[in-house]
Amino acid sequence: MFSLLLQKELKNIITSPKFTATFLVCSVLILISVFVGINEYENAVAQYQANQEIARQDIAQATSWGRVRNLLHREPNPVQIFVSGVHFDVGRVSSISDYNDVKLSRSPNSDETLFAIFRVIDFAFIVQIVLSLFAILFTYDAINGEREQGTLKLAFANSVSRAQYLLAKFSGIWLGLIFPLLIPILLSLLLLLAFNVPLTTGDWMSIVTLIGLSILYITFFMVIGILVSAITRSSSLSFLLLLVIWIGGVLIIPRLGVMAAGQLVPVESVAQIEAKQEAFRKARWDQYSAELTNVWQEREAQMNGMTEDERRAFRDDNEWTWLEEDDASRKLVQADIITNNRRLLEEAQNRKKVQEQLAFIIARISPVASYQLAAMKIAGTDVELKSRYEESMRAYKDDFSEYIQQKEAEGGGHGGFNITFDSEQGLNIDFGRNDQTLDTSDMPQYQTPELSLSATLGASLFDFGFLGFVTVLAFGGSVFAFLRYDLR
Amino acid sequence: MQNTTIKAAPLLEAINLSKVYEDGVKALNALNVTVREGEIYAMLGGNGAGKTTTINIFLDFIQPTSGQALIHGVNANELPLEAKKHVAFVSENVQLYPNFTAMQNLDFFVRLGGKSNYKRGDYENALIRVGLQSDAFDKKLKDFSKGMRQKCGIAIAILKDAPAILLDEPTSGLDPKAGKEFTRLIAELRDEGKAILMSTHDIFRAKEIADFVGILNNGELVAEKTRAELEGVNLEDLYVEYMAGYMDEVAENGSSLANNLSEA
Repeated sequence: MFSLLLQKELKNIITSPKFTATFLVCSVLILISVFVGINEYENAVAQYQANQEIARQDIAQATSWGRVRNLLHREPNPVQIFVSGVHFDVGRVSSISDYNDVKLSRSPNSDETLFAIFRVIDFAFIVQIVLSLFAILFTYDAINGEREQGTLKLAFANSVSRAQYLLAKFSGIWLGLIFPLLIPILLSLLLLLAFNVPLTTGDWMSIVTLIGLSILYITFFMVIGILVSAITRSSSLSFLLLLVIWIGGVLIIPRLGVMAAGQLVPVESVAQIEAKQEAFRKARWDQYSAELTNVWQEREAQMNGMTEDERRAFRDDNEWTWLEEDDASRKLVQADIITNNRRLLEEAQNRKKVQEQLAFIIARISPVASYQLAAMKIAGTDVELKSRYEESMRAYKDDFSEYIQQKEAEGGGHGGFNITFDSEQGLNIDFGRNDQTLDTSDMPQYQTPELSLSATLGASLFDFGFLGFVTVLAFGGSVFAFLRYDLR
Repeated sequence: MQNTTIKAAPLLEAINLSKVYEDGVKALNALNVTVREGEIYAMLGGNGAGKTTTINIFLDFIQPTSGQALIHGVNANELPLEAKKHVAFVSENVQLYPNFTAMQNLDFFVRLGGKSNYKRGDYENALIRVGLQSDAFDKKLKDFSKGMRQKCGIAIAILKDAPAILLDEPTSGLDPKAGKEFTRLIAELRDEGKAILMSTHDIFRAKEIADFVGILNNGELVAEKTRAELEGVNLEDLYVEYMAGYMDEVAENGSSLANNLSEA
């Protein structure tokens, strides 16, 4: 009986124009999006490699440790072909130096503002918007449509169990929608192989997980469609209701969540934080300057009453100590500024995390947000992308600074030049370069932060589970509603 | 020599069947109807008389407030899946799957009715029997007229080969020719031994083929006549009188046709 009902449902769907339309639209959109995504990824890789090479050459050409700067670049991730997430909004490069904090800048969208207006259509977008709409189109009249056309009554004039009928209907619609989706997905995976996109086992696992998540998401909308169809008498009413649910769930609630969190937990903008950092920096250097003036006045005071020769001898004796004291004070100021910058950033980041969590909690009223967040986590293009890179770059910056300081010390002084001063030879400055390049073979290398599959899955588990839970709940509701459905 | 008639077992039985909806509307009030093998029982009545409610209770689409609906002795509301094995149904407006051909629709609904051993030839024979031309067999139902769809509906009922058949306004909206063909088919099925319970507005058709005519008004069976009792009676007059609630008035005058019939 189940098999007969399932066959009928499949046959009914496959012979319907909506199946043809879904198959064509899915195939065209998914294949185009993956093809464009591969191109975009290859361009990003080429740009990344070129920038890496330029940074390497800059370091190789440096002749003074004090002038060594490193530019770090965010490495493109092949899974972004499917879920671009925040990839186009997060900067790709940050300079590493003692004087600036790590900050990713030059996002793809800042270079290509057109794409910031009309966002890229990726696989996640197609699933989130297009396929959820198709799921509704497939199911809005699943029950009440059969009632309207009289086939429900005719079917149940026979020995047919309602639960079996509903399960067969759900299975038929599910297969009817997933089948036209799987073909372009499989073709797009072949495209990845044809274009030699370098995918690790972890990347493949992420893609498979993403496909599974997408199917779960589509299933949710199908079940919601069946549920609404089983609690209403007319298909036009269920279509209207589902359209309202879709607009609310897909377009309104996720945005409302962000807006509400923005109002409830205000976070200072980057410009405000930078203004605070700059104010502190200026105040600290002014204070340092005033303190240095006082120090020099005290040093001068110690020489009061001395003859010119005594003063010169006193200076000769203390010059190096004074330079070291001044340098230590200067480094202290720099350390204070860096600490303050990091503290301000950390405070803002912590507050932003609270804001994000609140936004996500509110947005998750709609399972669309769960899908979006889980998909981005699986692809590694989630909202943590920026902080993940900046944190790893900061950690690298500490190693890099230590390395440079060590090299400077080995070179004998400040900023890659060696100053000697004595009464016999006078002042001698040795830049220590002799126009020779530096040996940077032992320079610490930056490692791109990598998320393990287990970490990715762990992070997306809640959203995965939530989506599964609401789907099961909605299906339970559909069964309950259909068991009580007035078949007349 | 004593002449005894052995009555066949009842295949469709409504025993004190009542239905009161949640809003208090009384749709059926202690209805008693019996349809035996080889009988056609026509339920006549206006809109809201309770004809379709009776059929819906037999099909377990609604639960009765009290009483029983038995199909082949099985309570249709307690063991619906078992009861429905013994009944076929043709609705007022047969709407099959529009994207399926007549053959595909037949195949699905007949197999749903538990008959999976039919071949294409069997379907063709059934469709020819109901009067469909062979060029329509593989046409999609969306291109069918209402009459053609009704014929498909009756073909499904024939192929299910159930001992009892429920017909809900089966000739409603059919042209006279299609109506006549339909009546012929129903009569054939009766002759094959089927027990047929039919709701209809079509007084003339009912008189032509029914073995029993029951007139329902506001959920009550106000009159039940056999074919023999109806002979020579203008059923239309009888029906109109009952439907108009004329009975009370004629009971007082003692001169109505209905009253005469009651006495007869």
